[in-house]
Amino acid sequence: METFYPDHHQEYSEVLTSLGAFMEKELLPISPKIDTGEVKMAKPRRALLKQGMCQIAFPEEYGGLGLPFSVYATAVEMLGTAEASTCLSVEIHNAVAEGLSRFATDAQKRAYLPKILSGDKLASFTLTEPASGSDAGTMATTAQKEAGGYSINGSKMFITNGGEADLYLVFAKTKKGPSCFIVEAPSPGLSFGEDLKKLGMRGSRTSEVIFSDCRIPEENLVGEEGKGADYAKEILHSARIVVAALNVGIARIAYEKSLAYSRQRKAFGKTISEFQLIREKIADMKTEMDAARLLYFYASRIKESGGDYSSEASQAKVFSTEMSLRVCDSAIQIHGGYGYTTDEIHRHWRDARLLTIGEGTSEVLRMLIARRELAKLQ
Amino acid sequence: MKIAVCVKNAVDETELKVDSGGNPQLRGAPTKMSTFDKNAVEEALRLKAAHQGEVVVVTVGTSEAKKTMKEALAMGSDRGILVSADPMAMDNRRTSELLAAALKKGGPYDMILCSEGSSDMYSGLVPPMLGELLGLPYVGYAKKIDVSGKSAKVERALEDSIDVVEAPLPLVVSVVSEINEPRYPTLIQIMQAGKKPMEELIPETLLPGVAPAMPLVGGMKAQAMTRKRVVFEGPPAETAKKLVDALAAEGVLPR
Repeated sequence: METFYPDHHQEYSEVLTSLGAFMEKELLPISPKIDTGEVKMAKPRRALLKQGMCQIAFPEEYGGLGLPFSVYATAVEMLGTAEASTCLSVEIHNAVAEGLSRFATDAQKRAYLPKILSGDKLASFTLTEPASGSDAGTMATTAQKEAGGYSINGSKMFITNGGEADLYLVFAKTKKGPSCFIVEAPSPGLSFGEDLKKLGMRGSRTSEVIFSDCRIPEENLVGEEGKGADYAKEILHSARIVVAALNVGIARIAYEKSLAYSRQRKAFGKTISEFQLIREKIADMKTEMDAARLLYFYASRIKESGGDYSSEASQAKVFSTEMSLRVCDSAIQIHGGYGYTTDEIHRHWRDARLLTIGEGTSEVLRMLIARRELAKLQ
Repeated sequence: MKIAVCVKNAVDETELKVDSGGNPQLRGAPTKMSTFDKNAVEEALRLKAAHQGEVVVVTVGTSEAKKTMKEALAMGSDRGILVSADPMAMDNRRTSELLAAALKKGGPYDMILCSEGSSDMYSGLVPPMLGELLGLPYVGYAKKIDVSGKSAKVERALEDSIDVVEAPLPLVVSVVSEINEPRYPTLIQIMQAGKKPMEELIPETLLPGVAPAMPLVGGMKAQAMTRKRVVFEGPPAETAKKLVDALAAEGVLPR
């Protein structure tokens, strides 16, 4: 922090240190049980939100702290280290707040933002559908205008916090194109599928969200009709920085366990940390993690300055999510048979595996990065 | 109730490095609020919640101690008093004298809370010294404090027993960690803590003409702990007996 914010690093460090202490004591120890389902994350997540995790980068008038986005991203990295599933849930929750703070009316902001930021209401972002993911323009969910409001029909798939959230930011097509709406739960016509079984991130609930003549008032339209796809893109650009930070956090816990194990496990009369090939892994893990951190920090700083950070956010996400898979794979390798058979090691790889897919696949993001680069020549 | 809490910006024992000669590297080591001091602050805040009043945090420390002070303020304390001096350069007596002088200046207080000992040096000397210097009763190792009118009933956690004593206010109390679970300040409270009043006092004004005391502790060495790694083999009935005999031989169990 001192390098990037010479004038304010102490203030930011105090915030992060306090939050880190909370995570270390209240989340890190229960993380294995959240993975197995023995402990539900709802209570610790609420406690974390009450601490102010999602207040960091929002304006004070809505209950935020008004701190730079990179402070929030750093907090996300810490949370990724402590408890990845909770981090995913909180990241999505925060993304909704980000969308509302940018595109909602003043009345909507006053009505919803303080409650979301304080954790009194849990939020969910519903864009992906059973037959459309990154290609959001082909969405089939519709919002039919009717007297006094809209009627939403369709379904959304792989929705984090689905079935748990109090508020859903829903993207549905009107005559003018994809549009964005707030749907509060419970609402008539709003229902949920089963909690989907996943490879990793098992503590966070992921389900289908179904709309059957779900009627919402006109004032629940966010921004302008037909601009939903633009809003979704903007929200996702920001979320990609956060996902990059989350994956640095996952990599960090896998790395730290590997480092400690390498100094403890002996082979041929010495600790395996004495072997060059293990040292090579340690060096590569550390170098790649630090590089990914710089990428998400760089994208954060461009966002803070008001510049176009879409390519940098994508670069950060592509690199960080793929990096964390490599680091978590090395962690399994360093732990040998114990790595393959112990949840405490391989769950980090399972958690990391989601994020080359969610919130923009690596393939789609590479398209975006390349498109930006090629456009510079035209 | 007007309550003072004495806190220390202590060396973070979890980050302490030891050189090849076994000497702990105290200078420049990371610091934090002494672990059990959080329990003292928490207890003060609970007493304030029950009886109204004010919680004042007092510390002897360098400018780095301001972060500990801010943490105590973020937890909910009302204001702070920093006596600007390096506690590592003085003995417990001088630290106690400076604290006592600061407490007299801003007092009187109904209760002065401390932790049983700091998490770095853990001498546990400052609380009783404060009682003596202030001419107040001292009750140590409190695991429960009930204030009623002008007296306090205190449960003391001793090694093999619990003492229950009643003492008149004002008094000095040291607390043990099981007395409560310290709260986490929220991020908003942390941001607002910097706006709370923090008074800085200098030793020369508090104790004019008194020279800094020499440290009592001449030096410290880290001691490597090694395990005996004794393994008993055989049927459980036999190994259990061998284990009990071995523990008795070590003095861990009575013979």
